[in-house]
Amino acid sequence: MRSDPATQLERNARLMALLARTALKDQQAFAELYRQTSPHLYAVALRILREAAPAEEVLQESFVNVWHHAGSYVAARSQPLTWLTSIVRNRCLDQLRRREVETVAMDDEEEGVAIAAEDPTPLETLLSGADALAVKDCVESLEPGQKQAIALAFFQGLSHSELARHLRQPLGTVKSWVRRGLERLRGCLDRAGVTR
Amino acid sequence: MNPRNVEQVDALAAEYVLGTLRGRARQRLERLARTQRSIADAVRAWEERLLPLAEALPPVAPPSRVWSAIISRIGAQGSASSASRPASVGWWRGFALAGLAMSLALAVVLLRGTPERAEGNLVIVLAGQDAKPVLVASATRSSRYLTVKAVAPLNVASDRALELWMLPDGGNPRSLGVLPGGPPSAIARIELPATADQALQSIPALAVSLEPAGGSPTGQPTGPVLYTGPVQRLY
Repeated sequence: MRSDPATQLERNARLMALLARTALKDQQAFAELYRQTSPHLYAVALRILREAAPAEEVLQESFVNVWHHAGSYVAARSQPLTWLTSIVRNRCLDQLRRREVETVAMDDEEEGVAIAAEDPTPLETLLSGADALAVKDCVESLEPGQKQAIALAFFQGLSHSELARHLRQPLGTVKSWVRRGLERLRGCLDRAGVTR
Repeated sequence: MNPRNVEQVDALAAEYVLGTLRGRARQRLERLARTQRSIADAVRAWEERLLPLAEALPPVAPPSRVWSAIISRIGAQGSASSASRPASVGWWRGFALAGLAMSLALAVVLLRGTPERAEGNLVIVLAGQDAKPVLVASATRSSRYLTVKAVAPLNVASDRALELWMLPDGGNPRSLGVLPGGPPSAIARIELPATADQALQSIPALAVSLEPAGGSPTGQPTGPVLYTGPVQRLY
């Protein structure tokens, strides 16, 4: 869904209208909303959960939730796709949390951090997303460690300790990469006027 | 966490949205965000900053069983048959929706400052496959007439006519009548079977087809569908 600002505006208007009609229990609109957004949202879930079955479950639960609560979407406060993405991501992270609880006794090494050898890498993905949003400079301004830690956490749902293992760095180092990276990103994005 | 410490709240909101805030800390922030506006605002601001980055992911079409499961869980009935096939909505719907963004923008321009706005309007911007608006139909909710105005030149042969149709959700198109010929800027008034509010209540879209002069001889569209547009309720 990479696109220029005008196309994004059009898309947002379209999705807002579909959400509004969904809130009025218009199944046609709901079906169209699903058609237009599910490939994007499924990709988000699949990347974090890494397996089709739980990703499908999250997508299903998220849309059932949207059907019942589309009315709580307040257009003025959030972009429609951002709102939908937050629902899906939060459910994914809940799933991960449940898994962490269940696997806490399992062999840590074996559990590992199985990041699929996918193309593009989280870092490349982050940069191409940044490109689309005209905040490439902001992401580029991060230090390499910060950039990589944020990309892995965001796209793959890695926790601090998983980041430390994956990047072969002390926990304290990755924590500060994440924290400083986010601070820097905020300063830069706010200056660029990304957040209203 | 001290909810009054703005910097700390912001840092936690950032890690919450990024996903690195886990376990009980995550649940705690979620709980606080439900009751404290400042925390909810911090989370929302970070969502606006970070979540658009997810758009860089290449889309992946989910298997069709996901949609079937959703439909069965929300207890869809009635129009479920059409809703269960989101990818193959009838011949008109695809392009009716394609024109929606543009028609919303146009509707806003058209309605800006009109006195009827307070009462509420229905607007249908009819566009061809290229999504360029050609006709704009509008009515106030309580009106029994639809006002149809051409916003682009219409080239209709003298032995042909344009017929306006209501496209109900899951039924056959119903004719609203033939559009009178005339200069492009002419405004036509089409009588509705009831007030606009009622007549278009379960009508997601309108369409215009090319018919023999005088209109379709069969009561159903016989010629190509030239323009379609979703019914928008601006109230």
